[in-house]
Amino acid sequence: MEADEQVTASAGSTAPLAPPDPAASHVGSDPLEGHTSKAVDHSLTDLRTHAVEMGGLVIDQVGSAVKALLDRDLRLAELVLSREPLVNDYESRLDRDTLLFIALQQPVASDLRATRAIARVALELERVGDESKKIARFAAQAGAATEHDPVVAVARYLRHMASLSTTMLRNAVRALDEASPELAREVLARDKEVDAEFSTALRQLMSFVMQDHQFLRATIDTVFALKGLERIGDHAKNIAEQVLYMVEGERPRKAKKRG
Amino acid sequence: MNTLVDTQIATQPRQAATMQGETSAQGSDTPSLSIVLEDRKSARANPAKATAEKLNFWYGTNQALKNINLVIPEHQVTALIGPSGCGKSTFLRCFNRMHDLQADTKYEGAITLRPDNVNLVGPETDPIEVRMRIGMVFQKPNPFPKSVFENVAYGLRLRGIRNKTELAERVEKALRGAAIWDEVKDRLNDSALALSGGQMQRVCISRALATEPEILLFDEPTSALDPIATAKIEELITELRQRVTVLIVTHNMQQAARVSDFTAFMYLGELVEVDATSKIFTNPAKKATEDYITGRYG
Repeated sequence: MEADEQVTASAGSTAPLAPPDPAASHVGSDPLEGHTSKAVDHSLTDLRTHAVEMGGLVIDQVGSAVKALLDRDLRLAELVLSREPLVNDYESRLDRDTLLFIALQQPVASDLRATRAIARVALELERVGDESKKIARFAAQAGAATEHDPVVAVARYLRHMASLSTTMLRNAVRALDEASPELAREVLARDKEVDAEFSTALRQLMSFVMQDHQFLRATIDTVFALKGLERIGDHAKNIAEQVLYMVEGERPRKAKKRG
Repeated sequence: MNTLVDTQIATQPRQAATMQGETSAQGSDTPSLSIVLEDRKSARANPAKATAEKLNFWYGTNQALKNINLVIPEHQVTALIGPSGCGKSTFLRCFNRMHDLQADTKYEGAITLRPDNVNLVGPETDPIEVRMRIGMVFQKPNPFPKSVFENVAYGLRLRGIRNKTELAERVEKALRGAAIWDEVKDRLNDSALALSGGQMQRVCISRALATEPEILLFDEPTSALDPIATAKIEELITELRQRVTVLIVTHNMQQAARVSDFTAFMYLGELVEVDATSKIFTNPAKKATEDYITGRYG
């Protein structure tokens, strides 16, 4: 969950596409390339690059927001808030560019699935950005830590959940970058961990607030911060599902409903 | 891959399509859009109208079709796509024995037409009989240098229909069926060659429809037309499937995506893949199909 976590776009990855078909493989290692029209190759890889860049920024936003909250670092909180418009810019740009690509190139099959996946990943990342913004805003208003502080009471969980959800996000974005169903599945498998941490943290906060309800306001804000991290895990999972559909063409079966 | 669209007898083919009430002469209904999409999503194959089995075809020593097995479901649109020279037009032409006009060609295998199980390519089958039951529309509109009326009445006269009232009725019905009646009803005696390209093409479709064929073959029917005329023909094809079974060859993949229920991809004389159009254009099973439709071919 360190603030400096970045997704390194491993361009030209060697991850094979779905079940490898040895019969015909004139398409190189990158599943988005190999079109007769180079313009299509470029448009598609540009879309993906922008989505991956956006992912890098958003992951950093999450890590920084939580760090700002834990360390009571006002400047870091403000940095996160000041970068929020950048996240939105990425989203609107990707929204526009995917729509244009569909209108002008009329992609089908894997190209269409990739285009849609990228558009939806951008949307999910934008929401992750919103969650980070809320956490950062809380951090900016929280003031100095006190003896009985709800944030301190669940600091362990905040830290752990931030670590889990950023790891999930990072893997989800890498899965998109490398068209890797394995990475995507790993993300899906980890969502439960975040949910479990969230429940434990809530119980912890409940006993905290029962002892001392002076900090009700801060406790509620802390619940929102925890919930935000739990939601970020969900967004990572949604991204992973988009990647799976993009790569495999089959919708991953919906996991059982969350309580 | 050769099991293809199985002849699963659909228990309720298009039964749901009774919402709009408006019943045409044949008793078929115009399905609402959502039903069309629903239908195409589930892509339940109707019972077979024709089945190609182990079909091989040669131009001299050149084998143009290799062991084609394909079910053509009744009252649905099947599109044949594939690069030039893949055999899709050759396959289409087998259905009404167009190759018989060319020397040194050879069929092997069968295309069985239901319900009477005639083998369309069997040497015992009279090609004239076949062409009465299977109409064809070509790439370039090819009306006879006659009036609109005579173009459409041509096949009927050949069949010995002389009664003026009956001829007039059936010509009108065919022209209405091809959605061109309103445009030509006041100029039935004008030369068909004076019409626009799109209108000529619809007159040709009327001509094919007049004899009430069971299958209508379209060989690139819109490649010589502008987008509006194309849209009209595509709309017509969608409507026609209520009455006839449609088989269409097209280079325009978006057209296949728009008008067909099933899409068959052919390559080098072989049938590579056939599936519901919705499946082919979102997640084809074969890499060759994927490469072709996404423009990675060649």
